[in-house]
Amino acid sequence: MRVGIVGVGFMGSTHAAGWAETEAQIAGFAAETVQEAGPLAGQYSVKIYPDLASMLPEVDVIDICTPTHLHFEMVLQAATAGKHIVCEKPLARSETQAQEMIQACRKAGVLLLAAHVVRFFPEYALAKASVSAGEIGKPGVVRLSRGSYRPKKPVGNWFLDETKSGGIMLDLMIHDFDYARWIAGEVESVYAKKVTTGHPDAPVDYGLAILKHHSGALSHIAGAWAYPPPTFRTHLEIAGDAGLIEFDSADTAPILNLLGKSGLGDAPDVGLPSSPVSESPYTTQIKEFYAALSGKMTARVSAGDGLAALQIAQAAIQSAETGRAIQLALLPEVLL
Amino acid sequence: MRIGILSFAHHHAESYIQNLRSIPGVTLCGVADEEEARGRQFASQYEAPYYRTYEELLATKPDGVLICSENSKHRPLVEMAAASKVNILCEKPIATTLDDAKAILESCNRAGVLLMIAFPMRFSAPVMEVKARLDSGELGQVYCFNATNQGELPTKHRQWFVDPVLAGGGALIDHTVHLVDIMRWYLGSEVSEIYTQTNKIFHAGEVQVETGGLEMLTFHNGVIATIDASWSRPPYWPTWGGLTFEMVTERGAVILDAFKQNLTVYTHKLQRPVWQYWGSDANQAMVADFVAAIREDRQPRVTGLDGYRAVEVTLAAYESASAGQPVQIAS
Repeated sequence: MRVGIVGVGFMGSTHAAGWAETEAQIAGFAAETVQEAGPLAGQYSVKIYPDLASMLPEVDVIDICTPTHLHFEMVLQAATAGKHIVCEKPLARSETQAQEMIQACRKAGVLLLAAHVVRFFPEYALAKASVSAGEIGKPGVVRLSRGSYRPKKPVGNWFLDETKSGGIMLDLMIHDFDYARWIAGEVESVYAKKVTTGHPDAPVDYGLAILKHHSGALSHIAGAWAYPPPTFRTHLEIAGDAGLIEFDSADTAPILNLLGKSGLGDAPDVGLPSSPVSESPYTTQIKEFYAALSGKMTARVSAGDGLAALQIAQAAIQSAETGRAIQLALLPEVLL
Repeated sequence: MRIGILSFAHHHAESYIQNLRSIPGVTLCGVADEEEARGRQFASQYEAPYYRTYEELLATKPDGVLICSENSKHRPLVEMAAASKVNILCEKPIATTLDDAKAILESCNRAGVLLMIAFPMRFSAPVMEVKARLDSGELGQVYCFNATNQGELPTKHRQWFVDPVLAGGGALIDHTVHLVDIMRWYLGSEVSEIYTQTNKIFHAGEVQVETGGLEMLTFHNGVIATIDASWSRPPYWPTWGGLTFEMVTERGAVILDAFKQNLTVYTHKLQRPVWQYWGSDANQAMVADFVAAIREDRQPRVTGLDGYRAVEVTLAAYESASAGQPVQIAS
């Protein structure tokens, strides 16, 4: 299996490290410019492709790690060429785009795998397993939060351009929209609000959403780009009618650093979880995708899941804009 | 100074007795309870004079009373005490309807007596610390809150907490008012709109009222806030529940856990960890403020109007929960 990776930012390099742990071969990298692809191509001693089109004839799988607004065209292009696809979350910039992508992949007979990596984080996977085993009974109120600082790409900060990234709800909170749905089932309605300030010294984005699930469960999702670097904090709480699961990354950090400033490097461009585990959850994810692409198993997250998470995020954005609770329609692509 | 207690329907009456007795110069002059067996039992347990009726206790002209009846029975006791010109500290929520809440404010205004509502969180040392930092300007402008006031099912204290008439609802009316009051106090702004969803998954079949609830508030000054008011703590959680918030400001975030000052204790007896609270007793400070307000002839730090505003928001929350859409708050 030959894999071509498009996009060489944090996700491109992280996925590459994952692929390197599988039997698959990394065929090469494509980026916006040949220069940008240089370091990763050098690291893995593979080709630099000037663009996706030139990569397609030489690979079996395309792994799309580009900014969100580019996913749609690239997935369609790869599907048309009959290539299987791994696509970073969010699957696309809009629900309609994601629906079209899923239909195109189905028509082309290729797999589309949505990289919702939170499902592969051991704490989240374990909590899901406990809920599925019935350990806490029926979920009643699910609370999920994820907080860091505003992404600070040195150039071309597409995260902060809402037309490209969809802003905090589509880029960050979508992780927990997906997870809430994994835990408590399909979502019936969404109500959300957000704060975004342009204050140059105090850049803050903070989103809050209340989801009502068809099961009757409620979810509270909070997303923050508001903390000082290098903070990255996640919290989950699943209260069921027969028990309760709690997790806070701040309370479970196995290492506490009390070092002078000189002992710490600069914060990365994007805040990241950092609990040390023997295998990066990103690698666990790529290994599972590799197994799925090899026909050995079904991945724990489908393109339909990616679409459903996108639908929730888009409803949250719409709710924040209109001040109304948004009812969600059941999408046929999710059910298939 | 002589202070009496009207009703032991709310279990806080018991801790208030201890609070009153630790204030120099204050005497618990008597307790009255319409449920004679309960009244006599607590009167004898705490060695206080028992009065068969509220009128008899009020006739002894105490300087103040603490009203600890069921939520829906606050109004008749407040009106009775006000008519006797006795100052009042009334358990929260002020009432279960806006009509009752208005009548309570009016009767106290008319009689010229002090009316304080029991919002002990205003006297919580950590909550006050954050308020002081906010007032100093150190935290800058507030943008939003992500708050919780979760608890266990309160029926282990009293059964009426889950009675839709006596309590006025379930988890929402029990928990919403505390955080609404803290936020109003911090922001100096009123709630303009609320959205709420509730469910009955915890203790389903055991109780009729809502046991889960999430609320999203918007204040007139633009600040947004969520409150988780659920009875979602299992009875074997290390403590009864708690109150937390993350407050996001232009300087970042402050995360408060008002009841985090605990020892974690493991015993052969319980076979599970419990949290033993060593933080300061907010009820003590609240009762002390009531006594000081009477002595100094000033308003208490929490007024009847604060109680009214908090319940007004809570009643709008119920309206939103049945409508499935946000509800505007008229005033």
